[in-house]
Amino acid sequence: MELPQRLTVPSEVMARQVGDETVLLDLASGNYFGLDEVGARIWQLLVDGKAPAEICEILLVEYDTSREMLENDVGRLLKELAAHGLVISNS
Amino acid sequence: MTLATGTTGLPRLIEQGRREQRALAQAPFHRWVFADGTLWALFYREAAGYLLRSPGLADFEVSADGLDVRGWAAPGLGSATVQNLYLNQVLPLALSRQGKLVLHASAVDLAGSCVAFVGVSGRGKSTLAASFATAGTRFLTDDGLQLEWRQGRLTVLPSHPSIRLWADSQTALIGDTTPVAPAADYTPKARFLAGNALAFCDQPMPLGAVYFLGDGEATVVKIEPMKAATALLELVRHSFLLDIDERDMLALHFEEISRIANLPIHYHLDYPRRFDELPNVRRALVAHIKDRVE
Repeated sequence: MELPQRLTVPSEVMARQVGDETVLLDLASGNYFGLDEVGARIWQLLVDGKAPAEICEILLVEYDTSREMLENDVGRLLKELAAHGLVISNS
Repeated sequence: MTLATGTTGLPRLIEQGRREQRALAQAPFHRWVFADGTLWALFYREAAGYLLRSPGLADFEVSADGLDVRGWAAPGLGSATVQNLYLNQVLPLALSRQGKLVLHASAVDLAGSCVAFVGVSGRGKSTLAASFATAGTRFLTDDGLQLEWRQGRLTVLPSHPSIRLWADSQTALIGDTTPVAPAADYTPKARFLAGNALAFCDQPMPLGAVYFLGDGEATVVKIEPMKAATALLELVRHSFLLDIDERDMLALHFEEISRIANLPIHYHLDYPRRFDELPNVRRALVAHIKDRVE
């Protein structure tokens, strides 16, 4: 799966860690979204300014999985976040 | 016109008598609809605040700061309708305009710890509170639970000293001598007033646990810890927020809810919805709270 080059988080998206997970609130729509532990880690790396490709490299060290599977999973989550307006592509 | 002055900090309700529900030029920005599609409430923005309309029943004008409320009954309806709607719906919404957090929950003083029962209408919040109160355990609220932080502890503020019950719960739990408030026109529920037979706690208490009521599918009493993220979304779902489009208030609400969700006090509670099961439910909750404290 092709990953976007760079993504930013809109200012109207709030995130709070609750337990092992992260809950997002889009103030523009009033919608809430939950991220599990891995999703929460991806989100944190996005907020830290990491590009999707960098995120995959970091996670390959942290998780025991193949590059192909990881890139597919990361790509799928980023696509879903973008579909809900929670991230914006800078490409 | 009648004036109801509340406890310091509560919005002030001024009843204005009866009035036709005039057609409005603007569309509502929000609405409450029951699961069966019945329209229950409409929310409108006005120059000085908000108009909350229960179609066919009453209109309420709420000031933007949530400190003042004026209420009109629809023609042919009485003060009890306005009072009931104010207590159950308008007051929590007005408090949310002040930045206060109010949950759709009942609460009781259980072995020195306040516990809350959260759930949609019909899940048994009031029946459970009444079950405790008629057994001598004090209740703090039956429907709108106001929370605030006091000296670092999340605290429950007592609400109106009454419990509203459907007829079956009345028959099962309430004696003939328990005083009743004047009936509202729109509901068969009766409002029973606190007293010797219905024990009430009129002091703020620290919150010890929050139990989210299940749908009654359990065959025995079940209490299970709830994950923080699930608790957050459930707290959002069961909290009052008048203007869901106002971002500053929404952000503040999210901050507060997140802080509460991170406390290790949230549980699923389910039990068979039979009146003869309520003593078992009470015993299980007392044991659960005592285990937590120890």
